[in-house]
Amino acid sequence: MKKLIVLLVVMMALFSLTACSADEEPVEEPKSLVIFQNKVEIDEVMRTYAEAWGAKNDVTVTLKTCGGDACAYGTQILAEFQANEQPDIFVIEGMGGYNIYKDKILDLGGAAWTADTELEFAVDGTVYGFPVAVEGWGMAYNKDILNAAGVDIAALEDVSQAEYEEVFKKIQAYYDTNGMDDYVVVSMAAGAGMHWVTGLHNFNGYLSAGLDYSDSTVIDKLNNKEVDTDRLNQLANWAELLFTYGDKTILTTGTYDDQVGTFAKGKAAFVHQGNWTDSSYADSDFEMGYLPHATMTEGNDKIFIGAPSYYVVNKDSANTEVAKMFLEDLAATAEGHDYMVNKANMVPAFNSVTLTPKTPLSAAVMEWNQAGKAYAWWQNDMPSDFGMGTLGPIYELFAKGEITKDQFISQVTAAIKQ
Amino acid sequence: MIQKDNIAVKIVCFLASVVVVFFLPLYSLVLWISKLLNHEIVWELDDRTGPVRRFLVRNWLGSNATAQQHRIFIYFLLPSFSAFFVFVTVPFLHGLFLSLTNWSGLNTGSEVFIGLQNYVVIFKDARFAYSLYRTVLYSVMNIFAINVVAFFLAILVTQELRFKNIYRAGFFMPNLIGGLVLGYIWQFIFNRALVSASEFFNPSLLISGETALLGLIIVVTWQYAGYIMMIYVAAIQNIPQDLIEASKIDGANAWQRLKTITLPLVAQAFTVSMFLTLVTSFKQFDTVMSLTQGGPGAIMTHWIGSMYGLVEMPVVQSTNLIAINIYQEAFSKYQMGVGQAKAIVFFIFLLAISLLQVYYNKRREVEL
Repeated sequence: MKKLIVLLVVMMALFSLTACSADEEPVEEPKSLVIFQNKVEIDEVMRTYAEAWGAKNDVTVTLKTCGGDACAYGTQILAEFQANEQPDIFVIEGMGGYNIYKDKILDLGGAAWTADTELEFAVDGTVYGFPVAVEGWGMAYNKDILNAAGVDIAALEDVSQAEYEEVFKKIQAYYDTNGMDDYVVVSMAAGAGMHWVTGLHNFNGYLSAGLDYSDSTVIDKLNNKEVDTDRLNQLANWAELLFTYGDKTILTTGTYDDQVGTFAKGKAAFVHQGNWTDSSYADSDFEMGYLPHATMTEGNDKIFIGAPSYYVVNKDSANTEVAKMFLEDLAATAEGHDYMVNKANMVPAFNSVTLTPKTPLSAAVMEWNQAGKAYAWWQNDMPSDFGMGTLGPIYELFAKGEITKDQFISQVTAAIKQ
Repeated sequence: MIQKDNIAVKIVCFLASVVVVFFLPLYSLVLWISKLLNHEIVWELDDRTGPVRRFLVRNWLGSNATAQQHRIFIYFLLPSFSAFFVFVTVPFLHGLFLSLTNWSGLNTGSEVFIGLQNYVVIFKDARFAYSLYRTVLYSVMNIFAINVVAFFLAILVTQELRFKNIYRAGFFMPNLIGGLVLGYIWQFIFNRALVSASEFFNPSLLISGETALLGLIIVVTWQYAGYIMMIYVAAIQNIPQDLIEASKIDGANAWQRLKTITLPLVAQAFTVSMFLTLVTSFKQFDTVMSLTQGGPGAIMTHWIGSMYGLVEMPVVQSTNLIAINIYQEAFSKYQMGVGQAKAIVFFIFLLAISLLQVYYNKRREVEL
């Protein structure tokens, strides 16, 4: 009996070895490409484009999307790597992402598209990332409300904090006289889940406003735990001004939908958001555009523009050639341009693109960008979780009025020095 | 030639691999042990054998009937023990190892062994202490709230009510809704519905760091009390009716019956419920994640900060319970090593607390 069992087990083992090793023999496989990206809003159009591209090039394209409120991309991609379900193309967000994944990222040097853009992601001269799109934020305004309140928009393209205060007062007075009680001056969210608006986007003003596009002195200082007190004071004044004229409900408990929805319904004069909110304005029947943030006391004449994320190729993937081809075609073909501009409503980073976006805020960003009026994005170069995890709650308390401006300044100072 | 994507082949391969990697070593281990025990080494007892060895040979190792019978139990234990070993012990030990490295979370094998450094980091971290404090505070209040509400509901639905089964089902229902969904629903209720319903609920509980924990307790109690109620209901129904009748004849009123009959006789259910609520409270994650995302911000409690020598209290997240804290350490800051070390500390802490709780409850059960 014992011997029979041993025999049985050995036979099973042998069978499994032969069966499974037969599996290992090279089989001519159809090429495949797995893309793992983080923009929920373009999931559908990207899938359509990628599948059409796949059909044309005989590649099975799988697109996975994870992002927005419901899915934490950073967490998910870590899980995918740990589960060995490695994507061929994935997304990093600037230097922070590069530092986490640098062992995984393929050198893309020599690709033809690198000559067509200035916004590729490079470290020490080596190109690693394909800019997904150009994005930007400033104070998005509702032209109808500003005109009705008698605000001269053109005069605000080089703006000071005092001028903004005048404008906000004027708009509030316009609301008051017309009984527009449910209208808000600034739609801005600072509560739980919206810390990226404050801790990353608003705080980026401290890092880049008034500086050259490549000037990294302030972010370098921050990473060396040094504080620029003068700039921080100016930022605190700006935050205070925004919070004073921001709607209290949206500020404290507003979600993304509350914040952007209020503006989309034409009930907010300004919204503190970027051009990715364009998808919410399909039914909005007013003109909109961008004005600069007045992070500095005066002389603010640019909006914050950068490439937030980059497609990178997984070094360990078996499909690196296919992945490179996908990126090349995205940058160079008419279909790729059409997808980026017309379908995904993105502002491409490539100079050869001649199409202009149909959506209002993207068009505005393109306009500011073409005029060369851009402040850099440094918020993603801060330490992981510093913007959202550490600065976000400080902003939140300031917005709720639980700490004063002086406390805000000392809290941020302490957080940077920590 | 076998087709590559033949599902049947894959299944057979998988099963065969399971046999090869799992049962084959196990089986040879058993064979080896039995061979070792019965054939090669002869366990003999003589006058010079010490008591320990004598005991081992008599009961476990020898070839006498008692020892053989005992060994059979061990053989029967092996399958479940090996499953436990592979799926619980090994991952746990692996986690223990990772907590001693600077692992960032990517499978590059580039982590470096850094000894107890992560643990030093944790114990110097005022924010972790704050998380621990908030978790304990939350758990104590939560355990109290859930058990009181559940016991009250259980008393209620064991009375002679007309629709008591419907009530039971109704109270139990929230437990069937996932914690994440529940969090979003209650976020809306607190932040929008209640606020517009009455000035009394304005500002919402979730805005202030002082009250957000209370909001969380309300939600979790609403969700979990029905489940604990079922345990109490089962216990109350097990109380012999003759006891109650006898006490009624003796003229005991409802309060006396509750105090002297019901409470002592449901003491066992109390132990179980305490344990369940304790563990779920300490591990609370999903509802917090969707209800408050760890927020709202608050200034750190003064005595914790001063314990760590902080002059100015930093801004912290007021519902950053320990499970959330660990998650953020690992997945927002990409400090897997530190996160893992925190998880180990949390494990030891929770183990100690629940052992203490069960020990004291058991003792009380006997007293009552």
